[in-house]
Amino acid sequence: MGETHDLSGFVCPLSKIKATQAVDNLDEGETVTIILGDTDSLKSVAQELKSRDIKLGFEQEDEGRFVLTVTK
Amino acid sequence: MKSTELDHQLRVYSDITQLIAGPQNPTPLVRLNRINPNKDFQIYLKLERYNPFGSVKDRIAAEMLKTLEIGDRTVVEPSSGNTGIALACIANAWGVPVEVVIPEKIPEEKKVMLRFLGVKVTETDDALCPRFPSEGARGLVDALINSPATKDSYVSPNQYENESNVRAHYQTTGPEIWQQTQGKIKYFFAGFGTCGTITGIGRYLKEQNPKIKIIGVEPSSADHKLPGLKRLTGLDEEYIPKILDESVIDDTVEVTDENAYDTAIELARKDGIPVGPTTGAILYVALRYAKLNTGLAVGISPDDAFKYSSFYEHVLRTESQSDGGGI
Repeated sequence: MGETHDLSGFVCPLSKIKATQAVDNLDEGETVTIILGDTDSLKSVAQELKSRDIKLGFEQEDEGRFVLTVTK
Repeated sequence: MKSTELDHQLRVYSDITQLIAGPQNPTPLVRLNRINPNKDFQIYLKLERYNPFGSVKDRIAAEMLKTLEIGDRTVVEPSSGNTGIALACIANAWGVPVEVVIPEKIPEEKKVMLRFLGVKVTETDDALCPRFPSEGARGLVDALINSPATKDSYVSPNQYENESNVRAHYQTTGPEIWQQTQGKIKYFFAGFGTCGTITGIGRYLKEQNPKIKIIGVEPSSADHKLPGLKRLTGLDEEYIPKILDESVIDDTVEVTDENAYDTAIELARKDGIPVGPTTGAILYVALRYAKLNTGLAVGISPDDAFKYSSFYEHVLRTESQSDGGGI
């Protein structure tokens, strides 16, 4: 399992920028866990990763805390 | 000399920010003699480039910083360049840390100037965030101010919502125009951007004479090359600057990039005044009014041509290709 980036303290678009940076730093096949704190951030990050054809797993820990597992 | 000495006649100052225009130290108002054929509709330009940091934004940057409770925080602001440059210069003079978030599409000259001033500059894609669908720079600053992880480290003047923006023009630019025209002004032209200029000046002039017509200028398309201007038509209510007072606006006219750039170039060639493309847009509308009206008109010229040489170069390249490229 790769690194975890807790971005729950950042709202969109800061969360999107930081999530994108985390994914950019991955090598092909590597996985990273990204924690987001609001639905706008979730939509924005998911949309960005989808546009890059990057796979992600999603789980909602509780209201206002979303865990993404991203594999490049 | 005393450290607080300020003498506009001798032009002695103890601090660069004292050069920012005001009723005792107005920016020039210059009549256009050759570009405008109608002698019964005299057009004057208010040349804001003569502020110390080169644009109309010097006035609002100083007013906003004076009233901002900064504490240990860093000042951050979205800007298409002029506000950022003004904030940076004033913040440097006063020893305040500042960061500027800019749209990618602004001219390189402005980006270089911000870095020259030692400011941390972040470039953003306009479509960065669904919360601010066409204004990534505003979105990013909003996120810095509202994210739990960063909100204690940053403070933003927020020129789109800050009444100091309006007040700066109500207290300085408006009275200057009224004095300089000896109350004879009948038409005032300005662009819509943050809307502080048109609201502050428009409100002041209407209070002096409600018959003065205030005409707002906007780009004909949301995707344009007129930095600092905003197309308000069709914009969702939540993205219209909160400081805009629509009650002072008598007419709104849209202008294409082509008309704005062509007018700015024609002004330089006919009246010898090098202005930015936004002035070209404002003057284009004033010249249209000149075809049907009489009286004294004033247009705001927010800045000069030098910050846009890379933008003008594209237009001039086409011109030199079409005329055979000179000798």
